[in-house]
This record gives sequence, structure tokens and C-alpha cells, in this order.
Amino acid sequence: MLLAGLLGCGAYIYYLNLVVTHRFEGLRWTLPAHVYAAPVDLYAGLNFSPMQLEHELQRLSYHRVVDLEHPGTYRLTGDRIDVALRAVQFADGSRPASVLSVTFGPAGIQDMRDSTGREVPVTRLDPLLIGSLFPIDGVDRIVVTPQEVPPLLPAALKAVEDRSFDTNRGVDPLAILRAVWVDLRSHRYQEGGSTLTQQLVRSYFLSNRQTMGRKVREAIMAISLASHFSKTDLMNAYINEIFLGQDGNRSIHGFGLASEFYFGKPLAELDLPQIATLVAIVRGPTYYDPRRHPQRTLARRDLVLQILAQQRVINAAQAQDAQRQPLGVTTGASGAYYPAYLELVRRTLQRDYPERELTEAGLRIYTSLQPRAQELAERSLDTQLQVLDKRHHRRDAKLEGAVVVTSPQSGDVLAIVGARQADFDGFNRALDARRSIGSLVKPFIYLTALETGRYNAATVIQDQPVSIKLANGRYWRPENFTRRNYGPVPVVRALAESLNDATVGVGMDVGLDKISGTLQHFGLEHAPDQVPAMLLGAIDISPLEVAQLYNGLADGGFRTPLRAVQAVVSADGKPLKAFPLQVSQVAPTADVYQVETMMEQVMTHGTGVPAMRILPPGLVTAGKSGTSSQDRDSWFAGFSGGNLAVVWVGYDHYQPTGLTGSEGALPVWAHLMASLGTPPLELPAPEGVTQTWIDYLTGMAAQPGCAGAVPVQIAVPTGTQVPPMPGCGGATTVGRLFDRAGQLLHRLTH
Amino acid sequence: MKRMIGAMVLGGLLTGCVLLSPPESENPANAPASPQTQQRQGAPSAPSGTQSAPPAGASVPAPPEQQAPQQRTFTLGAAATSLVGAAHAQEQSRNFGLAQETLERALGIEPHNPLVWIELGRENILAGNPTQAYGMGRKALYLASGDPHAQASAWELIAASLRAQGRNDEAYVAEEKAVRLSPREN
Repeated sequence: MLLAGLLGCGAYIYYLNLVVTHRFEGLRWTLPAHVYAAPVDLYAGLNFSPMQLEHELQRLSYHRVVDLEHPGTYRLTGDRIDVALRAVQFADGSRPASVLSVTFGPAGIQDMRDSTGREVPVTRLDPLLIGSLFPIDGVDRIVVTPQEVPPLLPAALKAVEDRSFDTNRGVDPLAILRAVWVDLRSHRYQEGGSTLTQQLVRSYFLSNRQTMGRKVREAIMAISLASHFSKTDLMNAYINEIFLGQDGNRSIHGFGLASEFYFGKPLAELDLPQIATLVAIVRGPTYYDPRRHPQRTLARRDLVLQILAQQRVINAAQAQDAQRQPLGVTTGASGAYYPAYLELVRRTLQRDYPERELTEAGLRIYTSLQPRAQELAERSLDTQLQVLDKRHHRRDAKLEGAVVVTSPQSGDVLAIVGARQADFDGFNRALDARRSIGSLVKPFIYLTALETGRYNAATVIQDQPVSIKLANGRYWRPENFTRRNYGPVPVVRALAESLNDATVGVGMDVGLDKISGTLQHFGLEHAPDQVPAMLLGAIDISPLEVAQLYNGLADGGFRTPLRAVQAVVSADGKPLKAFPLQVSQVAPTADVYQVETMMEQVMTHGTGVPAMRILPPGLVTAGKSGTSSQDRDSWFAGFSGGNLAVVWVGYDHYQPTGLTGSEGALPVWAHLMASLGTPPLELPAPEGVTQTWIDYLTGMAAQPGCAGAVPVQIAVPTGTQVPPMPGCGGATTVGRLFDRAGQLLHRLTH
Repeated sequence: MKRMIGAMVLGGLLTGCVLLSPPESENPANAPASPQTQQRQGAPSAPSGTQSAPPAGASVPAPPEQQAPQQRTFTLGAAATSLVGAAHAQEQSRNFGLAQETLERALGIEPHNPLVWIELGRENILAGNPTQAYGMGRKALYLASGDPHAQASAWELIAASLRAQGRNDEAYVAEEKAVRLSPREN
């Protein structure tokens, strides 16, 4: 029986030995995909102030120093910033650590040089890590090589957790006996006495259940590990494996990720107090959570520093100096967390990658996200919704919102806000809220009308009551927002003031099928129901889809599929997939130009006017408001010369908001555009169109200065004869000749 | 009488010149004063990366109501030039994908410069994407308004992309347009 028992034990030990060696030899952590924002390009001529560059550097956890010490630091001297750039991997290659000197002038960056004084025409800052796509078990980690580990870390771990690490055989019998004694006396598990190898075994092979049987298994496996593998391998495995914190459903494993998670910088850049803090956390990541229990963690860190001094890992002066330092953890759970954007990244890649490959293969995903635009979009939405909530208070609900910001030329999605609480990974309204777009559809109706050749911006149309017999025999009688009609109005006014009856008249004349076709050409995924209500925006789509539609308008009639992901690179830096820019023309540039010019009038004479109090002088924009029936949805979509932004505001449960597009979404949009530092809209006038002045109210030709007229500049097809406004001279052609002759006379006589 | 006729002729010529030049800044007296109306006057101003050429004393005046697009000459800035150079080097080593990524960086710096779009379109032809190259050619043509040389280059790209698609008749027409805009010197 004894023999059988011994044989059984032997077989069990042999089995555990096999398990340990087999699994550890092929040790391969599941590596989540890491997602990066678009890196900022720096070049002479960029309108960037020293403060802006410093802000970007701080976002990347660069630290200001007096003398450049190591990568990840910078110094500010007068109008110059010297940066010790880190070695980084981009989607299209890597950059070694280097020093860059940036000199500023009145117009921004004036000059850039490297450490040898050679001119640098263009360079990039590091791409900001914005999150991970991790598997269902939530394990997230950044694997580091021994070369990336500061030597102080293993020394500190040994001093604090396992002083006999270099000599023991995986277990420390004395430490175990001491722990057993303590546990027996207290009749409960109180002390571990585990070596680093045992902790590694527990984390990698076993559960966290603290039973005697598991302790025995753990000890056998630790001995087995220590007998087969070098201490260097074991330490490296420990540093990458150990659990060091929790962020929602995401588990922080390994010191590489913990360094980014708590301090926002690579492990190699940590200083003594920060390394001591991480070593302190090892003992209990929940109990010693530096964000939730800073005092407790600080006390433990100071104890760690004291032990390090006692063990002569550091000297007493270093310990005392480090003990005077604050914890220094970053404020947020992570420096940059944009769940709405990450969701779009995940959905984009799910088409090409199975879930397992996406979350376990260590992919590096480079996106179009612009952290600054993202932060400004989040701030604008949150701030303005607070203002709106105060004005339109409902007890049963809080206003919600969504924002999408793009770069129209490239189709890059720069920012996505899916909720007013942007860091909450919940319902993503930017992607999933399918809401009626209201008058946002109108530019596409007028574009379709222009394409027929029968309309232009000056064409006078009738804003009169409309009654349309529907298929069910009932009549549809839409009304203007003001519930009154304005009779003959030029197209530009009908669009600027979003007149429903005038637009429905044009839409029915042009044809629902043609308008539907235009929308689909611009990127509407599904054909809308071809019912008259479509003309007032009874089309339920997400803010992201609206952004796709308007991106084509902002880009002169060129459709560029919006993209959040630019490239995917393997864990070892091999390019796997690129998402190159695509562009196709979907409407004649001359027609789109005319619509864009009319949308500028929306901002100066129509529903966009309130934005002009917020936008900086000189920032030319074009846009359109949208309001669905009973004010359930408040929209604004508009663009400058560099950015398109779409804003939706409403309640999740479709209660009326009491807000039009101008009242709800427009302030969010305007504050965002005002803060972006975006260039003004400067449209290249295509061939075949002419800019001319008409009276905004009547559509008749009226030059500036004409008494009684409200002159607006519009674009019409070249050769269009606009009838003159009585008392304002002849038709446009004649009027311009007189004006020019007058100017000439003025020059000659003065 | 002679002096009067002379003055009339001179006046007529000057009138023609003024009609050709871009309009002076006009500030509508009774239009609502807004930054937008103050900013947007006449043809768009030259974007960064362009050099505005002085209005040429062309001999054929444009119709008076037609505000001819401002004459411009697009050039690449130093940063974009450096990136285009890098893309050419990548192209030499037949790494077309990398070259496209580099050119997209240049596009991020000068998104409204047709010359960058033309480079990107050219790269797409080399990479075997003539349909994309065609779209980029059209885009370049749209942006090149006012710069006959850039327009000619855009038409050349369009022609090349059409040829690569086997649309030879259309390619021929595009080539003709390119030549008309920027006749080659023999």
C-alpha cells in the first residue's frame, strides 16, 4: 500500500513536472492588440505654439527637465524646446531614440534640427497608446524584454518578495514552515511565504484558491520550474505575468502595462519611487490600489524603500529622498481611454480578423484618432449638455449626445464621442443610435435639384402649403417650423432657413428616387423608404453615417470612406494590413460648390446664425441644422476648411427635447469648431460656376449697397441670368459692369 | 477730338484690365455684419503651399459676370517635399504600400495641394489600383483650379489611370486636355 502510495505520488509529481516544462517551454502570453492614436507630425511652418507642443509632449508622458537626461524628457529654453524622443514603432517603420530641437517663431514652428544641428524637415511624435483589445477574460499586458527592465526592479523584487531567489530551488522551506506555523496558530490562512517562482506558478498555472492541496501542487511545480529553467528566465516571466491591477473588466498584468497604467510611461523610464510603488502593489493590487488607497499605498511604498535600503539595494539617502516624493500616479484610470472610438476600431477589424487573433496575437493597430480633437469634442458635448439640461430640465431623463469629427480630405475619423460621459463604455450613440435626421437631408435634395439643371441657388420657388396624397389614401400636410409660409423665395433662402414646404415642393418635383440615389452615392448604406416624409428627413441613421454623407459634401462631391484604422502591424513589427485612402467622385463639383456656398449662407443668414457669436472672426464654415418631429432629435452637421463635425443631441427614449437643431446641437458644434483651431473654408471655384450677388429675400440680382436689399453672395452656373431687383440697376452682368466702371472712375479721379 | 478718342481707348483698355482682376474687397453695407461675410469675398484666396500669380494681362477678357478662378501656382512645402522624396525612394525599392503611407502623411500636411494628390494617384497606378488613381486625378483636378500646370498634371494622371483600365478613347481625350493646358516644348 505504501508502495502504491509512493508510486502514485511519483506519478503525480512526474505529471506536474511534464505540465510545467511543456507549458513553460512554449510560454506564449496571449497578447491583446494595442491601439494607437495618429502621431502628430511636426514640421517648420506648422502653426503650433511652444505651449501646444508641451501639451502634446505631456500627453505622451514626456517630463520637463533642466538637462535632457534620457528619452521621454524635454527642456524649454526661451523659444526653443529640445526633446529627447523615445524609440518608437510606427505603422510604417521605427524611429530610434533621438534628440530634436524645435525653434518657434511668431507663426509657429520655425525650424527643427537634430542633435548634430542638421535640419529636420518633418518628424513625428510618438503615437499615443489609447487602449487595448483584450480577450473575454480581460487579461491585458505589455510584454517587456529583459533589456527593457530597469535593473532596480528585479533587485527590488528579490529584496522584498524573495531574498533567496538566486539560491533557492523554487521554494524556501524555512519561509513555508514559518507560514504554516502562523496559519496553524491562527486557524486560517494568514501568511504565504511564497517565493517569486511560487507566485509565478500560482499566477500562470493555478487558481487563486488558497488550500493546502494547492500549496503542495504549487511547491512541486515551483521546484520543477526552478530545476529546468534559469533564474533570468523565471524573473522575466514573473515581470511579464504577475497581476498588478484592475481597470473595470480589464486586468493589468505585468510590469510593462502596469507602468503605463499607473504612470503613463514605459517601464524603462520609471524612477526609484515609482519602481518601489509597483513593488508595493505586488503584495495586493486591490488593497494597495494607489488611486483608491493612496495613503495605504504610500505607506507600503515607503516600507519597500526602507527594505531596499536595509538590503543595501539602495543607500539610505536615496531611500529618504524617494520617500519624500509623492506617489505620482496619473489621475485617470488610464491616461487616454476612448471607448467609443475603440468600438469603431474593433468593428472595423472584426471584418478581417477573427476575435481570437484580434485579442490574443499582440497586434499593433494604428488609428486616425486625434487625441486633441477627441478631448475637445468630449468637453464641448459635456459642457453644453450641462447648460442645456439646466434650461430644459426633465426629471425623468438627462439629455444625451454624440459627436463625430472627421478630416474631410482623407476621411479620417478624428474623434468619436458616444455619450456625454465619454469614458463610460456603454451605449455608443455615435455608432448605434439610429435617429431621424430631419432637415440634414435638405442639402442633398437641393443638390439633386441642381443636378437636373432646372434649379440654381437663385431660382425662386414657392413656399406654400403642401398637401400630398399618400398610398393609404390619407393626405400628408407638412408645415414650416414657424407654421407660416413665405411665398416666393430663392432656393438659397429655403435651404438657409430650412423651409419645409418649399423643400417638399422641390423634392417632389425632382423625384424621391433621384434623391435616394444621391444619398446612396454619398454613402447612405440602405435605401430609405421612398415616401414623401423622406424629404423632411424621416431617415433613421447614426451620427457616424451622417458624417459619411456630409464628408462628401465637405469634400467637393468626393466620397472618401471614413476610416478609423490606418494600419495593422504584427507583434514583431511586420505590416499586416493597410487601409489606404480611397476617393471617388459622386457628384459634379460645380453642383456641390453651389450647395456648399448656400450652406455658408445657413451660417450667416439661416439657422446657423447663433454659431457666429461663438466662432472666432474669420472662421468661414458651412453647415445645416436638423430637427426631427416633436423636437426628438437635435442635429447639426457642418464643416470648415479642415474639419467636419456632426453633433446629435436628444433623449435615449425619444422624449421631445424642446430643442431645435440650432438650440441643442449647434452650440456643441460651434464650441467644438471654435476650439479646434481649424482653418476657414476656402472652396476652389470649379469651372462652370460664377459667384454673384442676389437679394436674399427675393432672389433678384442685387449688389452690395443696393437700398432695401439683403445681398448675399452665391454661386450659380455661368451664364445664368438673374433678374434685377427693382431700383438696383440692371441684371447681374450689367450691374457688375457699372460697378467696375464706377470703381475705375473712382481710381482715376482720386 | 483725337485726345477724346485716345482717352476713350485708354479708358476701355483699363476697364478691361480691371474687369479681369479679382474684385476689390467689397463690404456689403446692408448685409448683416458677420465674420463670415467679411471673410468670404470673391474667389478663394491662395491656400498655403500656393503662390498667387499677379493677374495676367490676358488679351481675351473673360465674360464680366464670370469671376475667373484666381491664377495660382501650386508648389510643395519643405515637409511635403521631404515626404514625397521619401516616397519616391520607397517606390524605387518597389514598396508601393509604404510609399502610399508616406504620401498620405504628406497629404495630412497639405490636404488641399493637388500635387500631393497627383503623387498619390501615380503611386496607385504603380501599385495596380488605376480606379483609385482615377479618383485621385479627379480630386487633383478639382483642387488645381487656377493652376494650368497642375491641371495638366491632373489630366495626365487621369489619362494614365484610364489607359491602365483599358479605356483608351477616354484616355486620349484626357491627354488632349493635358496638352492643351500645358503644351510641351519641343
